Formats: sequence, C-alpha cells, structure tokens
Amino acid sequence: MSAEPSRRLTHMEAIIEAIAEAMREDPRIFYIGQDVGAMGGSMQGTKGLVEEFGPMRIREAPISESAMVGAALGAALFGQRPIVEISFGEFLPAAMNQLINQAPNLHYMTGGTARVPVVVRTRVGDGPYGGHPQDYSAWFAHVPGWKVVMPATPVDAKGMMTAAIRDDGPVLFFEAMSLSHAARAPVPRDAFETPIGQARVAREGRDVTVVAVGSSLPLAMRAAGELAAEGVELEILDLRTLRPLDRDAILSSVRRTRRLITVHEAWVAGGIGAEVAASVVEEAPELLVAPVIRIGAAPVPVPSGKVRAHALPNARHIVEAARRVMASTRA
Amino acid sequence: MAELPILPPAEAKGLSEGLRLYGWMALSRELDEVLCAANPRWFPSAGEEATMVGAFCDLRPKDAIAAHYRDPFVIYMMRGAEMTRLMAQVLGKVEGYNKGRSVPFTGPVDLQIVPWVAGDLGTSLGVATGAALAFQQEGSDRICVCTFGDGTANRGDFHENLNLAASWRLPIVYVCQHNGWAISQPAKDYLPAPVANRAAGYGMPGFEVDGNDLDAVRRTMLGAAARAREGKGPSLIEARTWRAKGHWAADPEDYRAIRPDTPMADPLVRYGDRLIERGEASAKDLDRLRDAARTAVASTLEAARALPDAGEAELGLNEVHP
Repeated sequence: MSAEPSRRLTHMEAIIEAIAEAMREDPRIFYIGQDVGAMGGSMQGTKGLVEEFGPMRIREAPISESAMVGAALGAALFGQRPIVEISFGEFLPAAMNQLINQAPNLHYMTGGTARVPVVVRTRVGDGPYGGHPQDYSAWFAHVPGWKVVMPATPVDAKGMMTAAIRDDGPVLFFEAMSLSHAARAPVPRDAFETPIGQARVAREGRDVTVVAVGSSLPLAMRAAGELAAEGVELEILDLRTLRPLDRDAILSSVRRTRRLITVHEAWVAGGIGAEVAASVVEEAPELLVAPVIRIGAAPVPVPSGKVRAHALPNARHIVEAARRVMASTRA
Repeated sequence: MAELPILPPAEAKGLSEGLRLYGWMALSRELDEVLCAANPRWFPSAGEEATMVGAFCDLRPKDAIAAHYRDPFVIYMMRGAEMTRLMAQVLGKVEGYNKGRSVPFTGPVDLQIVPWVAGDLGTSLGVATGAALAFQQEGSDRICVCTFGDGTANRGDFHENLNLAASWRLPIVYVCQHNGWAISQPAKDYLPAPVANRAAGYGMPGFEVDGNDLDAVRRTMLGAAARAREGKGPSLIEARTWRAKGHWAADPEDYRAIRPDTPMADPLVRYGDRLIERGEASAKDLDRLRDAARTAVASTLEAARALPDAGEAELGLNEVHP
C-alpha cells in the first residue's frame, strides 16, 4: 500500500472508495441495487465492488424499488447496515411509501427504540449521458426523520458517504450527475467524515452570499470569477446538507454580506432555497439590504431534449442576479 | 412462546399444548371485545384467532414477525409483550411501547416484532422481507413470518416482495389472513382468483388452508417454516377466515346487509370441541380459561385506564433521528 496521504479522485471514485472502506471494516454493511454487479453500476457507480466483496454483499435486485428500500429498512431493523441504491432519483417515487411512511418514522414512532441505519444513494440532475434529469431532493428535506445530503466536491463526496454509512438513522445521499465524472481533486486516502448538517464556505467574499447546492457550486464559482473583475465579491456557501439545514452558517455569512442569492438545480417553488431565505428572514430580517433572489430550474418538467439547457440554472443567471442585487441595494 | 398471562405462572406452565393454544385464542377474543368497547376506532379480529395464533405459535424467540394490523396483540403477547402496555397504546397512555406516537396496533421492536409506524398497508411486507434478508446476511437459521390481509394482497408491494424473496431465496413465510373483506368491499370484487395461486408465478409453494382450523394452519405453517429455515426460500399461505365484526369497532356495517356473506364456524368453538373429542380437555377446562381471560383482561384494563395520558412530554423532538 502506498504511503501517499491523498490522490486525485473524481466524485464517483471518492464515493466508491468510501463504500469499499466501510465494507472492509464492517461486515454488516452490504449493498443493494440494480446493475451494481457485472456492469459496475449505473454510470460506473459501483465499479470494482462486486469483484472485491462478491454477490452476497453487492446484491443485484429486481426492478422493485419499493421492495428494495423496504428490504433495506427491515435488514437495518434486524442488525445489518445496508446501502440501497436507487439508480436514478426519478425512480424514488416508485418507493415513496417506504421512503415517506416508513424510513423516517421507524425511530420516532417506536418511542426512540428502533434503529434503521440505511443509506439511500441516488443520482439526480443533468449529466454526461443526459438521462433521468429530474431532481426531487427537496421533497425529502421536508420530512422529519431524514437526513438529506448532496455533496459538491470529491472530498465531501467521500467524507459525507462515510458519515452517512456511520449514521444510525436513514440518510438520503444525492449525487449530482454533472459532477460524477467531472474534475478530480485531492481526496485523503484514509477514511474520514464530513459532518452532516454543516455547510462550508467555498469562497470568501464581502458583497453577496450565494448559497449553492450540489451541481450549482461550480456555476457559482465561475460566476464569482467574472464578477470579481467588476469589483463584486461573492461569498459562496456550499450547503452540502439539505436537512438538517445549517442555519448558523447561512446567517453568519449573510451577517457579513447582507445580501443573499440561492441556487440549486431543482425547482424554485417550495425548494430548499426558500428554506435558506426563510432562515434569514425569520432570524434577522434587518440584515438584508437587498431583495433575496432564488435561482433554480425553470418551472417545467426538466426536458429531455435540446430544450433542457434553457430550463437549468447557469453561471450567467448567477452573474445577473448578483448585479441586480447590488443595483437594488437600499441606501 | 411466553406463558399464558391469564393464569398463575405455575398453572400456566402445567397446561397441555392444546389448552395453552385455546387459552391464547380465548384471550384474544376477550381482549378484542374489551378494546372495541374502549376505543371505537380499534380494528377487531374476532373470528380470525385460529389464523393469528396458528401462524405464530410455533416460532422461536429470535425469529421475526410482522403481524396484520387487525388486533394483533395476542401475537405480541405470545412473544412476551405486556398486556398493560399494549392496552395503553389503544387508550393513548404514556406506558404504551410507542409512547403515544404511532398507530396503536404496533408492538415492541426488541421482541423481534416489525412495528407499525404508519397506517399504510403493504410496506410491512417490505420490512418483513428485509428481516429475512438480515437473517440470510448473518447466516443464521432465523426466519420471518408476515401476515397481511386479502385487501393488502393487491398492493404492488405484495408482488415486489414475493418476487424479490423468491429470487433471493429468503427465509420468510407470507400468510394472507383472508377474511373476505377490504373494509366494505367483498373479496369477490377484488380477487378474481385465490391469492395462493399467485405463488406459482413466483416459483414458490402456495397453500390454501382453512384459516379457522388451528391445527390446519399450524400444520401448513410448520412445513413452510421448515422450508424457510433450511434455506429453501419463501412460501405463500392463504388462510381463509371470516371477519365476524366490522372493519372498525364502531363500523355500522350497512354495506354488509346489501352484500351478505356466509359466516364461518367460530374457530374457538371448533378447536374447543376438538380438544374435548380428543379427550384433551373437558368443557369445564375451556370455561375456566375463558373466565380467566375475562378476569385478566378486565383487571388489566382497569390498570391501564389509571395510567397517565400521553402528552407533550412524549412529543420527543430529540427522538426523530438517532
């Protein structure tokens, strides 16, 4: 084994590494999904796992998402620590009864006695192959009992998958598909946790706080570069966790900038950006010197064809929003 | 199996197997009567006791169970759950295993019971299948038994889980407690063929059994349980029983006059007569058990009524996620 402390990994490689390390350590961890064996997973998302752990720990399931999630919950209730992969977020609705009526209720409704350490891993948004782009992550952030994460960097992808696997309750792990095979970054070799529930300041700046989720982080970083040339400095908060929301990090950033933009690939109405904005408005409305702008997908079902680019947020939207926020600042 | 809690322990231990099982059915009937009177929204199980007791009475303590929601308390008590705490759930008391939070027909998880944490049907088949998956993963010979109604058999979860369990040869027995009704709809409106026939489509054994004959249910279960324990995979049993009362305790059942059905003979009477025929019991023995059940249930109800109501202290904001 090499002694190098970190290597450059993609988002996807970092996730697989977290899963493999956890499975080596704990025999109770096993994996349920479709095409996760010989094919190596949708988008190569489980590459190498079946070769190392065999078909009893990397279990290929029928196309039965409700049974897959139910089976994971039951296995967890009886002492195992399963990871269940729903190939794409568009298939989550097929398991909604288990995901909404069971998973988040089991601990609470049993008077705090039941433990269901289950990770539900899925992929959402626009991606290199174009399929299954709908992002339903906000639905789950609404429900008490779930933790919902969407990392935006390879290092957090590994750290948050490790944290999710070690959590004693249900965690929904959303993978933004446009990041899966995107830029590599150094990722520590040894297992580590990125705490769930903590946002991260990805870029410091004095003028506007941009709270970005998942695939929107690189867009915000690009926008910040362009705006810096105009003398506007964005502070970018990588939200990382949709539930529980890191209200302290949001408030602390807005205390500095006094302006707020939210951006995510999911729809705006009822989206997580609204919750971010509410956390400021409820706690310290006096901080805001300009209107809040929320950016997200256009209010249409995300199109499959060439129309899609026009429905999704991009760096230009963020640049324009920041200019509007600066221009409409109260004296 | 726990000792029958309606007799002094020494006496309960001394009961023959037949009387013990009769005692559990008698307790279930009495408990059901009293809980229906105490809570108009309770779901009665009168008439279905032979299926309920027969499906679960021969399991081992480490096996998992997922019981149909229709007054399953005697099933939980056979595993050692306390009658007072179960009654407390129906009365909304603090001492319920669910702390006054979930639907009242749930049971304690630490007795290997799949809990009811919502009112949706079909999901328990998934969680039960997962229990069987856990046992396969750990390499033990534990099994899971899951009962559900003939109405629930039409949820997609039935198909998904039986197919998954058969594909993976999971150690589970699915038992359809077919009582002929889905609330107000008679089974002939929603079941064009016996539920047991579907087993063939999943490549597992399927059995139809007289669900009001305790011996027949046990016999069928023993075969299916042994098969599961030996790693040969799941089975499906359809136990034909009859819903003697309404869907809920205060159900006026007007629909039943419009769509009359044929009653089945009372499983307690049938089993009691059989014990007498076999010379295993006298009519007096049976009377004594029914009286003991009546007394035990009445005094437990009184104790449960005296418990404090669940309230704000049980809201449990810190028990949402471990």
